[in-house]
Amino acid sequence: MLASLTAAAQTKISGRVVDQAGEGIPGANVFLFDTYDGTSSDADGNFEFTSSETGSQVLAVKFVGYKEFQQVLTLEGKAIAINASLREEISELQSVTITAGSFGASDESRRTIFRAIDIATTAGATADIAGALNTLPGTQKVGESGRLFVRGGDGYETKTFIDGLLILDAYNPSAPNTPSRGRFLPFMFKGTSFSTGGYSSEYGQALSSALVLESKDKAEITRTDLGILSVGGDVAHTQVWDRGSATGKIQYTNIKPYYGLINQEIDWIEPFVSLEGTGVIRQKVGKDGMIKVFGNFKQSTFSLYEHSIQDYNTKYRYDLTNSFRYVNGSYKQSLNANWIVRGGVSYTDEQDDINIEQTGVVEREKGIHAKSVFEGSLSDKVELKTGGEVIVRDYSQELNAGNVPIGFQEVIAAGFAEADVYTSNKFVARTGLRGEYNSLIQKFSVDPRISLAYRPGAVGQVSFAYGAFRQSGKNSYVQINDRLAPEKAQHFILNYQHVEDNRTFRIETYYKRYDNLVKFVDGSPTDLNTSGSGYAKGIELFWRDNQSIPNVDYWISYGYLDTKRDYLNYPHQAVPTFASAHNFSIVYKHFIQKIKSQVGTTYSFTSGRPYNDPNEDKFNHSKTPYYSDLSLNWSYLPKPYIIVYFSCTNLSGRDNIFGYNFSPTPNDDGVYASRAIRQPAPRFVFLGIFITLSKDKSVTQLPSL
Amino acid sequence: MKTTNMLLLFITLMITQVSLANDRYQETMNKNIQIVYTANTIAELQPAVNTFERIAAAEKTKWEPFYYAAFGYSMMSTQETDNAKKDAYLDQAMNAINQAKGIAPNESEVVALEGFIYMLRVSIDPASRGPQYAMLSMKIFETAIALNPENPRAIAMKAQMQFGTAQFFGSPTTEACATNATALEKFTTYKSDNPLAPVWGRGMADGLAEKCK
Repeated sequence: MLASLTAAAQTKISGRVVDQAGEGIPGANVFLFDTYDGTSSDADGNFEFTSSETGSQVLAVKFVGYKEFQQVLTLEGKAIAINASLREEISELQSVTITAGSFGASDESRRTIFRAIDIATTAGATADIAGALNTLPGTQKVGESGRLFVRGGDGYETKTFIDGLLILDAYNPSAPNTPSRGRFLPFMFKGTSFSTGGYSSEYGQALSSALVLESKDKAEITRTDLGILSVGGDVAHTQVWDRGSATGKIQYTNIKPYYGLINQEIDWIEPFVSLEGTGVIRQKVGKDGMIKVFGNFKQSTFSLYEHSIQDYNTKYRYDLTNSFRYVNGSYKQSLNANWIVRGGVSYTDEQDDINIEQTGVVEREKGIHAKSVFEGSLSDKVELKTGGEVIVRDYSQELNAGNVPIGFQEVIAAGFAEADVYTSNKFVARTGLRGEYNSLIQKFSVDPRISLAYRPGAVGQVSFAYGAFRQSGKNSYVQINDRLAPEKAQHFILNYQHVEDNRTFRIETYYKRYDNLVKFVDGSPTDLNTSGSGYAKGIELFWRDNQSIPNVDYWISYGYLDTKRDYLNYPHQAVPTFASAHNFSIVYKHFIQKIKSQVGTTYSFTSGRPYNDPNEDKFNHSKTPYYSDLSLNWSYLPKPYIIVYFSCTNLSGRDNIFGYNFSPTPNDDGVYASRAIRQPAPRFVFLGIFITLSKDKSVTQLPSL
Repeated sequence: MKTTNMLLLFITLMITQVSLANDRYQETMNKNIQIVYTANTIAELQPAVNTFERIAAAEKTKWEPFYYAAFGYSMMSTQETDNAKKDAYLDQAMNAINQAKGIAPNESEVVALEGFIYMLRVSIDPASRGPQYAMLSMKIFETAIALNPENPRAIAMKAQMQFGTAQFFGSPTTEACATNATALEKFTTYKSDNPLAPVWGRGMADGLAEKCK
């Protein structure tokens, strides 16, 4: 009996582990299931071990990046020879990704080109998301707007999404011809995906570009943050519990003291003052579900004098009060090992009260966006995303109190489906369709989107994207004619990207075609149709290196743009006033341990933009001088819980001119008088001190919101 | 009587079988633990980690095989030069430590190793990961110390974090050095009754003690 228990028969099992190409895989784990018996394959993939187990056993072979191999063996003392051919596992980490048109930035994913923190530390941007993204190729610097203008597209053609949900207006109000800042600070996001074309069928109502922001998950520590800024102050508190966290923040901004120090181009009566409150709740639900609620309100006011171009002494008072309320609730949960469901609802309510002398205008825009998406894999080679959404836009404008408001309500119901099919880790094809029904024009439309990516080696890859996009007209046009068909664009993009260690090279070329652009019939802004059209084409280069020089990270962007369009009051196709042929940026960041600082500079150059001079015969034929700006920022960490942030734009004080305004009527000599659109001040200087209070003083902090 | 004898014999045999199996577990574990402590190439570490994974698959109630698999993967990450591959090894380490946590959620050693993995994550890209993961690993070390105030590794790693932070900000390192002194003391006094309990980390504390002088 003893003998039978101990002297079991020994079976020798040997063979070779190979990949699909027949190459040996070293270091693979070869073993019999639920036993200790096994070994690792050697440098050539060969293995050999013995087992005293008998009968039917499962031989398993495992190695990272490959699917587990299993085979049932019968062990009876006779040597077994078996070869295991492992199939490559399609994994997110190793597989090819579609990069045409897209700059993904996430703290979590690797081999990323642009990280969330890069936004906060780019000189010249003063922690403004659009400002930082303006250093990437594909964008045009439009200094008097502050918005993202992408590949010959107007500013309104870029749409912002938070956790998949649309924000009707992602920018703060600003005085005429002064740059506006984004409503949301980069610190609240863990991931940013900036697409300059060819984006997923999940995103609609954006003609040129989609900026997709993903908010942070549950906070980890309870803390209080104080910010003392040269333009105001803020206080925030974060409370953390077992499965959730909540953050509240109040911010007051008053630019008056700053403008008192630095002369401004603008004749302010009351400079920009705002009060803002933000609340965030995160709650984990179930096994891996997450609910996020984000709420923001902001009240901003300013008033100024606008001076007549012909006679400076004739001036008009301009008052603006903007109130903005935004709520966004989203959830994400796995249904099973293969499928997740996510979705949410956002509500925007924004009102502008504008008074120009005796004329008062009240503009109100309300929007609801509800969306639900299912994502998962049908097999390890096919991933599917499908969902539906409803976007409601309600706009009204009331001219002088008591008049009947003019407005419209538009409901867009959309469904989308997209499949990623991998033939291997080297090739992926994404095909998507987006169907939309628009309640105003009572029409259903379908837009196809296709992307392909091929990665022959470990470092370089080629991708191509095509897509059709549509976007309903701007409020001010649909208000006049609510039967306007949506504006349309088609993108064709070819991209090559090479990422090796911490160096990235990208080259991208594109062609974009515009149709159905809004047009003034016979030059009349009250008679509109959609007979406009246009094109944009160009080539863009990007290089980033944070490896060659210790503690230095820099990137260089260049974009060439050739675009013309015939829209609005244009008599024929012409280069639009926001387009510049050459855009160049170099961003440099140097971490200097000795002075506990990160110092950064950004240099931007933009070739001259066209403007229309009514004194000339040809339309949009005049050109502004080039734009150039050298900015500096300095982040200093004297203590783990204190960050001092200083920034200054346009160090050289160059007088950049963005265009010219002309008097609507000629003067006595028959000449239309002009005035340059300049920067509000040559430089913008910002100083902020951010203090974090928490029980644990030994950790470096970034602001929580 | 005959039945009783048979029963006794059977029980004895059972015990022998169990202890044989146990001996084999201890022996295999010890042999491979020595490898992950001393090996300094990925080629040496991979087979040891494979062994731990095999044992973990067979011994479904023990946290130690997963723990050492995670430790082995962490060591592999430190031997690798390519950042993406470093992260891939840490993904494997994280995977293993999560399995260990599933078995022994209140084991201080398991929690401390999780913090160590985050520390390694930070070292790959300090500028962008520092603010997020440094905070997290510090919090995890605190949890590990709360679970077992005698755990020298948890205390030693906390000291490392404190020292790094103090050095960066040029503030006094007294607090970090005091924590490290406690860790050194615990390395001498702390004896776990688990024969497979981790014993690494003393060198790290010694190194810091040198800097504290």
